[in-house]
Order: sequence, then structure tokens, then C-alpha cells
Amino acid sequence: MTNGSIDNLIEDLAGELEPVRPRRLMRGSLWVAGGWLVGAALLLLAAGPRHDLADGAMMPPLPLLAFWLIVALGFAAAWSALRMGLPGVGRDYSGWRWAGLAALALPFSAVVMALSDGHAAMDAAHPENGMHCLAQGVFAGLGVGAALFAWLKGGAPTSPTRAGCVIGIAAGAAGATIVALHCASNDMIHIALWHGLAVMLSGVAGRVLLAPLLRW
Amino acid sequence: MSIDEPSLARLMAASQRGDRAAYRALLSDSGKWLARYFARRIAPHQIDDLVQETLVSVHRKLATWDSSRPFLPWLAAIARYRWIDLLRRQRDEVELGEGDAAVGAEDEVVHARLSLDRMLARLPAGQAQAITLVKIEGASIAEASQICGQSESLVKVNIHRGLKKLAQLIESE
Repeated sequence: MTNGSIDNLIEDLAGELEPVRPRRLMRGSLWVAGGWLVGAALLLLAAGPRHDLADGAMMPPLPLLAFWLIVALGFAAAWSALRMGLPGVGRDYSGWRWAGLAALALPFSAVVMALSDGHAAMDAAHPENGMHCLAQGVFAGLGVGAALFAWLKGGAPTSPTRAGCVIGIAAGAAGATIVALHCASNDMIHIALWHGLAVMLSGVAGRVLLAPLLRW
Repeated sequence: MSIDEPSLARLMAASQRGDRAAYRALLSDSGKWLARYFARRIAPHQIDDLVQETLVSVHRKLATWDSSRPFLPWLAAIARYRWIDLLRRQRDEVELGEGDAAVGAEDEVVHARLSLDRMLARLPAGQAQAITLVKIEGASIAEASQICGQSESLVKVNIHRGLKKLAQLIESE
């Protein structure tokens, strides 16, 4: 290759130039909010909200705390994923990890509770009592996952593997928050295991399935 | 013409609005900046190809620059991604058993080596030696095997694993 071929390339690219609309994080955030609303509408219309919420009451304190921890993880992961679409050396995309660390309080609490009441833990861990929450969580998060994937597909994520994983975690956390509005269980072991598993499974799926599709 | 951040950012903003003259100037200046950037990272015979690939990526990802942020870190992120992609392709070539052209002992090679040596020092010795012999000095797999006393398949495995690790190190920098 010579400088002449670079000059020819520059001429070709300049000849093709059309005005572009710079990508704004606000627009991506609206896509994500739309994805969450679609997922929530589909699940809650199909399966209905929790009885206490439907009656206008509040969730009990511990499930409420778990709900907000997962909301924080979902927000942080979605924001990190959105920022990954606008690259820049020196930019920090790791904010979601802190929310992820805070959310680890859920499985740790569940383990402590399980140690004190093994029989209840075995009952909560039975797939019959939780597989539907896992499936609903993964399904309900697909709207947020699709919105983030579309955003990053048009963006320039410089680490597709990490981006795929973070999309999955954001989608799983979004799905878990939607399931928390439907699932009537107040058992922390059930929430940590089955709702948390939706986040983990989505993260792994995002890393494996989306990473190759995000290369550019 | 000096390549300074405010001028490049102005040219980029005009390019996003569709100004072809500004875009031509931006790509020309970016090409020079990229040639210097890659000169410290890859073998000289690969620089022009990688500059062109990066300019095409700049063109495709024009909308991802945020005008409230500086331009050069954005360009460097695109360049680093293309560099990692090149390392991955080289790793895949090893899997397919393809060789690479030899590189002469020119002054530019020394500069490329300075940066590469720093990265290679973070790899296990066997991987660093296999990459150095085959990917930088242009030895064939068989020659590298004789020189370093590793079997041919181990040389391939070491190049494969080393380039993978190298890409991870660069991504995490």
C-alpha cells in the first residue's frame, strides 16, 4: 500500500459523506425505557401484578430492598452499555460492577437464611417453585436487551465481549424487576436464587450470543 | 500542518454536518496521526493497511463521536479496536497454518518493538518467544520450532494463546 492509495480512499470516503445525526445517550435511554415498558406490559398483562400491589399496598421491606438493589444494578448496567456505544480511550465503563457488588448482598443474605433453615431453603430451591420466575425474568428482559443491542449494534463498542455481557446483565436485571412486580413470594431465598439466576443467565447468554454479533 | 485537538474536533463537527472539504482534511490529518500511532505497535509493512481499515471504520462510525468530548480519544479507541482485530486475525491465521511476511531490520521496526516488547514482557516466556520469532521476525513455524526447541504444534498453540492474551491486555489498558 502507498500514500497514493490512502489518498484515493480518502477521496472515495469524502465523496460518500452524508450528514449524520450524532448519537445521544438520551435517545438510547429512551429506547431502554421503552424496552422495559414493553416487557412489563407484556408480563403484567399476561400474568397480573402481585396481590398486594394490585390492592394498593406496599411490598414487605425485604422484597422491596431486593427490588431496589436489582433496579440499581439494571440502571448501572444499562447506562454502562449505552456509554460503551460511544467509544473513547480513557472512558470508564465499569460503574455497573459496583452495583453488581452491592446486589451480591442478596445471595449472601440468602445463604445465611438457608443455613438457619435448611428445610425452607430446599423447598425454595425446588425448580417447581422457581423455574417460572426464571423463565419470566429472562423473557421480560428481552425488551431492554433488544433496545441495548440495537443501540450498540449502531455504535462502536470496543470490547464486544464485555458489551454483550453487560447487555445481558441489564436485560436480566430489568426482567427481574418486572418479575418482582408479579411474583408474590416474599422469601429472600426464592428472590435471590430464581430472580438472581435470571440476571446471571442473561449475562452469560449476552456474552456468548451477542458478542460475535457486536463486532464491527 | 500540526494536528491539534481543537482543529480536529472542529473538522469532525463539520464532517458530521456533511462538509466534504472538512471531512477530507480530517481524514488526511487522522491518517497521519494513525500512521504514527500504529508505528509503535505493529510491523511497518502492516501500517498502511491498518490505517486504511481504521479510516473506513471512522467513516462507518462517524455518528458515534460526541461533540462535547475530545476527538483524539475517540479516534484512538477506533484505532485500538482495529489493532486488536488485527491481532485476532493473526491468531486465526496461526490456527489455519498460514505464515507471515518477514520484516526487515529497519529503524521503524525498532520503534514498533519498543512498544511491543513492553506488552510481550507480560506474556509467559514461551508465548512471547513464539510470537517474536514468527509474527515479528518472520520465521516460519518450522524455523521457530528449531530455534526455540518447542514442537511445531506447541509453537502454534503458544502464538494462538499469546495473541489472545495480548489482545486482552490491550483491551484492558
